[in-house]
Amino acid sequence: MNKVSLSAQHLVKHYGGVVALADGNLEVHAGEVMTLVGANGSGKSTLGKIVTGVVAPDGGRLLLNDREVVFRSPQAARALGIVAVYQELSLVPRMTIAENIWLGHEWQGTGAVLRDAEMRKRTEEMLALFEGTTHNHLDPDLPIASLSPGEKQIVEILKALSWQPSILFLDEATASLDSRQVNRLFELINEWKNQGMAIVFISHRLDEIYRIADRVTVLRNGRTVATAPINELSQQELINLMIEGGVATRTNGKRPETSQAEEILRVESLSTTTLRNVSFVLRRGELVGLGGLQGQGQTELLLALFGAIPYSGRIFLHGQPVSIHRPQEAMRHQIAYVPGERNTAGLLPIQSILDNLLLPSWKQYGFPLRVRQAQEDAAGIANVLKLVMAGLDAPVNTLSGGNAQKVVLGKWLLRRPKILLLDDPTKGVDVGTKSEFYKLLSELRAEGTSILFYSTDDEELLGLCDRVMVLHDGKITADLSGERLVHSELVAASMGSSV
Amino acid sequence: MKRRISPTLIALALAVVLFFVGGLIQPGFTSFELAMNILRLAAFLGIVAAGQTLVIISGGEGIDLSVGAMVTLGAIISYGLISKRDDRILIGFLASLGAGMIIGTLNGIGVAYLRIPPLVMTLGMATVIQGLIFAVTQGSLEGGSAPLLSKITTEPLLFGIPGILYIWAAFAGLMWLLLQRTRYGKNLFAIGTNRVTARLSGVNVKATVITTYMLCSTLASFGGFIFLGYYERVFLNLGNPYTLPSIAAVVMGGTVLSGGVGSYWGTMAGSIVLTLITSLLTTLRMEEHLRQIVYGAILLVLLAAYGRQRALRQ
Repeated sequence: MNKVSLSAQHLVKHYGGVVALADGNLEVHAGEVMTLVGANGSGKSTLGKIVTGVVAPDGGRLLLNDREVVFRSPQAARALGIVAVYQELSLVPRMTIAENIWLGHEWQGTGAVLRDAEMRKRTEEMLALFEGTTHNHLDPDLPIASLSPGEKQIVEILKALSWQPSILFLDEATASLDSRQVNRLFELINEWKNQGMAIVFISHRLDEIYRIADRVTVLRNGRTVATAPINELSQQELINLMIEGGVATRTNGKRPETSQAEEILRVESLSTTTLRNVSFVLRRGELVGLGGLQGQGQTELLLALFGAIPYSGRIFLHGQPVSIHRPQEAMRHQIAYVPGERNTAGLLPIQSILDNLLLPSWKQYGFPLRVRQAQEDAAGIANVLKLVMAGLDAPVNTLSGGNAQKVVLGKWLLRRPKILLLDDPTKGVDVGTKSEFYKLLSELRAEGTSILFYSTDDEELLGLCDRVMVLHDGKITADLSGERLVHSELVAASMGSSV
Repeated sequence: MKRRISPTLIALALAVVLFFVGGLIQPGFTSFELAMNILRLAAFLGIVAAGQTLVIISGGEGIDLSVGAMVTLGAIISYGLISKRDDRILIGFLASLGAGMIIGTLNGIGVAYLRIPPLVMTLGMATVIQGLIFAVTQGSLEGGSAPLLSKITTEPLLFGIPGILYIWAAFAGLMWLLLQRTRYGKNLFAIGTNRVTARLSGVNVKATVITTYMLCSTLASFGGFIFLGYYERVFLNLGNPYTLPSIAAVVMGGTVLSGGVGSYWGTMAGSIVLTLITSLLTTLRMEEHLRQIVYGAILLVLLAAYGRQRALRQ
């Protein structure tokens, strides 16, 4: 095989009015491991998706071996040897390991008869690469559904390998692997590298980056800001590259002193499939941010506190142990949860604004429901939220994104929550609505509501919160407040660094 | 809120047209007596389809194919217990409703907890009910309707209008109250629209689903009780012809098969239209087998047409 090289130059991608990638550059050559790093919203996943043919760029160009190429699909990229392993698993649970690996490029003999025996043999050879690192012996005929997350991830990697890539993208491929499996993967990566493969490695674990990478490309706000050999950058220098030059400005300079306030919520060693022994305290009137890269367990933490997913560990309200295993129980304790995925989890799209606002509260209107009273209350909330709408009877999906998100928050206001759990509530919301939203949160906090606020927008966390707990791999790795509540600390903790 | 003409009104207009078409084909079709008779039959279908309305609004591919069998069971239980005695009507009534509650709860548990698709669960339940009927009756049916029951349901009560129509009107009011003025109704529309949102807003989704299937079978059983009043006799598969029409009536009334949208007014209008179609076919003196084929074809066309309308809207 010739020495492969891929070069992405000045890639641009817009989603609506949002610029996801302003100037993305990436270069990778045969026989090297390039790693791509960046904070939330830096554009690294967009860049990865463009290079592997998942999304089409709005500008810029891609050169493969110095020839310009355009990918219309991941299949087109794959045909040229560029194959990606994603963290979001793409395996078919009911099919076997072998069937999944060869799905889409089955070996066919005469008359389109599948050459099962040969595929099976090749599968066994590939599975042998990870021999000894898995709990069970992996057999090609095992169904995917019977595998652990780590084993599935291994199959995912082997599936990519079966396409015989010349350029391999590993996007957070180590997230569900244990240390033995990661070690083996790194041995294999070094082997592949020496055979002339080019590897792009994306990970949120800083230590892994330093172990495996040859070079690093840093993205910030949709732009590639640096490319350098990894041994020329210290962890601190790398983190500084990932954040804006200056210290983030605070939009909310004065905050009430809450560290002495009455304790409302205490969580002790809470664990779920993602979370590992999370403990913390939330005080009255406190606005606490949840930070970190996406998918580190922030959503799970909020869902567990709301009783929507199973967990182990103990939860105390006002010092009393409570059992919260269903949303109704959380609601009885005046806990409210505002999801970020408003269309799938926050709204009843075809129903009226009125019905959406009142859904959690119908209980208080008796039988038969006192509809007039309910309408008045809903109108009051709509007023507080400054909803721009045709009327309370209009379907909620006629609202703009920002107004719809206000409804998702507003439906809890009628219940006067003591603890508000916010799951990235400003995602895809316009700037004007965002500032109204912030004002509303400040008012709620002033009234004594305790708020746990997950956001993928670091500026928002820094500007709004009294303190920020950073999650990394399902653990709280930092609790930043006061002097330490700055972007560099936030990003460092997001990457699992203890600098 | 609705930009399109209400499906209820369309169905009502269709009913009026069919009524006068019937009058053209067969003078006398438009007579008061015949109109009352048609409405009387529509009331029966309307009560059976009431539960179906709830199940379809609940979404999650909600459908109840066991209503026909449940009508049979309700009728046979009433028949056996009432045994021609007026003083036993109440017992027959309560027992048939009780049977409906049990069967419906089982349907609901199967759908909500065991996650059996409603189509499979209720079709299986229909077979179980049939078996139950055979087991209980051993093929021989002993009992009878009571004079009072027939009187209430069939004979003119006030202004020449049969009692069942007054019952149906009151029932419709209760259905409106249930759907629009109870927490259950609000929760029903919520789970029909988006179960994740409903759950995260504190709706007990499983309990709502079970209640819905429970109500559906109970109402079907109530339909069987009324059937006894109409025909004063029972047979082993008397309810079977009503399963598909109960769904067609709901869908014609604008209740959307994917859930979350619907009303009982619409189902009432749909029931009247379907009953008119049957009566028209009878008027045409079509032979029984041919009539069944034509009626079946009309139901298929209706369901296909309304299903397509839904696809276009999305």
